[in-house]
Amino acid sequence: MADTGTPALLRVDGLTVEFPGVRALDGVHFDVAAGEVHALVGENGAGKSTLLKVLGGLHRPSAGAVTLDGAAYRPRRPADAVHAGIAVIYQEFNLYPDLTVAENVFSGREPVHPLTRGIRYAEINRRAAELFAVLGVAIDPTAPVSSLTVSEQQLVEIAKALSVDGRIIVMDEPTAALSADEVTRLLDVVRRLRAEGRSVIYVSHRLDEVFAVADRVTVLRDGRHVRTVPLAETSTDELVRWMVGRDVEALFPRGDAVAGDVVLELDRVSAGRQLREVSLTVRAGEIVGIGGVAGAGQPELSQVVFGALPVTGGRMLLGGAPYRPDGPADAMRAGIGFLHEDRKAAGILPDLSVRDNLTVSVLDKVRGALGRLLSPAAESGVFATYRDRLAVRATGPDQLIGQLSGGNQQKVLFGRALAPGGRLLILNEPTRGVDIGAKVEIHQLINEITAEGAGVIMISSDLPELLGISDRVYVLAGGRVAGHLTGADRTEENVMTCASTGRRIFSPEPVS
Amino acid sequence: MNTSLGKLWDTWGITAILLLLLAVAPVVTPDFFSLDNAQSVLRESAYLGIVAAGMTFAIASGAFDLSVGGQLALCSVVSLMGYAAGGTALAVAAALATGLACGLVNAGLITRLRVPPFVATLGTLFVFRGVAYILTQDGPKTLPYDQIGSPFVKIGGLNVAGLPLPFVIMLAVYGGAWVLLRRTATGRRVLAYGSSPEAARFCGISATRLRFFVFALVGLSVGIAALTYITRVWTADGSAQDGFELKVIAAVVLGGTSLKGGKGTLIGTFSAVLLVSVLNDMLVSQGVPSAYQRIVLGGVLIVALTIDGLRTRFAAPGSLRRAVTGQGGRTPRPGLAR
Ligand SMILES: Nc1ncnc2c1ncn2[C@@H]1O[C@H](COP(=O)(O)OP(=O)(O)OP(=O)(O)O)[C@@H](O)[C@H]1O
Ligand SMILES: [Mg+2]
Repeated sequence: MADTGTPALLRVDGLTVEFPGVRALDGVHFDVAAGEVHALVGENGAGKSTLLKVLGGLHRPSAGAVTLDGAAYRPRRPADAVHAGIAVIYQEFNLYPDLTVAENVFSGREPVHPLTRGIRYAEINRRAAELFAVLGVAIDPTAPVSSLTVSEQQLVEIAKALSVDGRIIVMDEPTAALSADEVTRLLDVVRRLRAEGRSVIYVSHRLDEVFAVADRVTVLRDGRHVRTVPLAETSTDELVRWMVGRDVEALFPRGDAVAGDVVLELDRVSAGRQLREVSLTVRAGEIVGIGGVAGAGQPELSQVVFGALPVTGGRMLLGGAPYRPDGPADAMRAGIGFLHEDRKAAGILPDLSVRDNLTVSVLDKVRGALGRLLSPAAESGVFATYRDRLAVRATGPDQLIGQLSGGNQQKVLFGRALAPGGRLLILNEPTRGVDIGAKVEIHQLINEITAEGAGVIMISSDLPELLGISDRVYVLAGGRVAGHLTGADRTEENVMTCASTGRRIFSPEPVS
Repeated sequence: MNTSLGKLWDTWGITAILLLLLAVAPVVTPDFFSLDNAQSVLRESAYLGIVAAGMTFAIASGAFDLSVGGQLALCSVVSLMGYAAGGTALAVAAALATGLACGLVNAGLITRLRVPPFVATLGTLFVFRGVAYILTQDGPKTLPYDQIGSPFVKIGGLNVAGLPLPFVIMLAVYGGAWVLLRRTATGRRVLAYGSSPEAARFCGISATRLRFFVFALVGLSVGIAALTYITRVWTADGSAQDGFELKVIAAVVLGGTSLKGGKGTLIGTFSAVLLVSVLNDMLVSQGVPSAYQRIVLGGVLIVALTIDGLRTRFAAPGSLRRAVTGQGGRTPRPGLAR
């Protein structure tokens, strides 16, 4: 059937997918040509992942048709998609933590010895290593997945899809957890796939990537098709307007911060080999950014302050008093809020409702008239506050959090970290996976709490965000502070230099 | 199956089956609803039901307590010894204190020695029974017949407004347990921890405190249950209620509480306990030998779990993971914190 001259390799017509209480897709049409990179954009909950799951054989549409190469394509299970040459990288990871990287990459498709039926480990390890070489990353194929960082897990998912050798590669927010370098290399890989004549469906909230790599873009809003245009004929502002239905205020709003007293001070704090003699300060009303390449010790730093990782050397001061938290409960009592970077494994409580997921950090404050008993009304009130503020798209407070789109889950978890309203907030990748409108809203909320006098530690692999919203930036490299950038020194070049070359840059301390 | 229907089934499915069974019961057993028979069914269900309430918390938190059979034997024996030494008050105190102590031992082993709950409580099952055997080396502890008028004996025999006191105690236990699970911060933390221990840790939930709470609660429930049990059978030794732990777990699972943790339904457990008791009564009244009764209970459990398995396989969130990994019932926890 090849080379019949029909431009569309894959065509989606009138696709409708319904969940109880929501119509996730409503008569969507969409097509991809061979050798085309087609971007799919839209707000959180617009239906992007749902469309991809239909292609991957995970959801069955209630109406509409998909044609692949002119023939009806109705996958009933994921294996059907793989068989048809469609490889999907899903937004949420599906890795076996106790298996090795290579076992995960080839899971279910392992080459086996013809006689013994044993897995050919040498072969899968070699082929996995080749895939990582293409992606330009050094991940040990024999390491257990449980030892990987979030970005490494994402790369394993990407390698898994590439190993299928499909003609359509579908990527759902593949860069949400990647560093700038890794993104650059992934985009190169996408271009190479296109040069080989393969098609790529690319979902991202980062429009610069979309412009850098895609040929055409389709915008979804509320499960409906809004526009499909070649990227050469549109602009970021126009795309955003189509996505959101209005203009979005400027990114990175940050008023003049008035730094107050020191809230947190770390004095040569070490934690095993992950963190070595880190000294830093956070003042009231300040946003302190932590930068560096993945694995430089950022999550460890945040966890040490939150009491989730033991300190092995040095000391911490909170509000001027010695601070030695014995677990996160201690840290929370001391007024510290926390957002974890791994939404799926250490963020959501999958069996609980969105409301319960949000209020779990403020159970002491949602008590009713009876004193010790939880008040469902108070809980729903807290939920309503954050749902309205962050535009969380849920059918109601009782919906299970797992049924929310990825970005909407992230908003709930951000609300959870913010709700206690303490004096220090630690945010790991606060805007990972959220759409552009919600991103601005989250930044504004961070600004508000600093205006109220809280200090914020913000860790982000999104460099423009890190520099755009932080007052000062510490750069970590190999678990040590390799730079401290303030004022005009806060540039992408300086962060990169400190993070990866070993050169150290320390801006002069501001005299206050 | 559609999700809201599934949710409904989760909470009320077993209750519906119970009502169905109650509807056919008089056909099988003509005198089923006679006061005597109904009272005896309810009285019999109490000790199983009370422990199942506690076990619902353990399973919702993602753990088992396999030692409840040993705990029941030990609590019963110690309570009877207490009665012999100091009457009703001491007997009641002894049962409750012994249950609590057993729970604390379990929690201590799990948190201090870092033994998984399954293994720790499997071990203490033998230990608790062993201690009960040692205490009854000279023969089972019994309530002498001349004590028939004592307040202690009344626990098992009294009726309150037509309801047997053990069943009234069970109702109270379920009322309290429901409030605890659904309306207190501690209950919420139990569900959160069962749903994702790692995420719960970052919500400030202490695994140690949670384990102590859950296992102490189970122990306490066994202590209460032991009171309704011995005042009914009047005698206990190390072999009392052999295999009790599995009956309890079966009832909780039958009720719809997920073995993976994170979900717990006391209404379901309650209905499942009554279902098991009613079924047993029907079989007994038909003169079915007790060996067959076990087979029927096993069959009911398998059918219930199959329905549950089918349901979760097709309910939306889990289906993605299973479908992607091509796995059946058991799935890994994808993604991991570092
Ligand atoms: N399993 C499910 N059960 C119920 N509702 C669901 C389920 N999966 C998705 N939805 C709903 O369908 C809608 C579309 O979700 P989808 O995941 O496709 O959004 P998305 O565009 O990928 O968003 P994001 O950018 O946040 O990833 C949302 O309102 C979501 O709550
Ligand atoms: Mg999505």
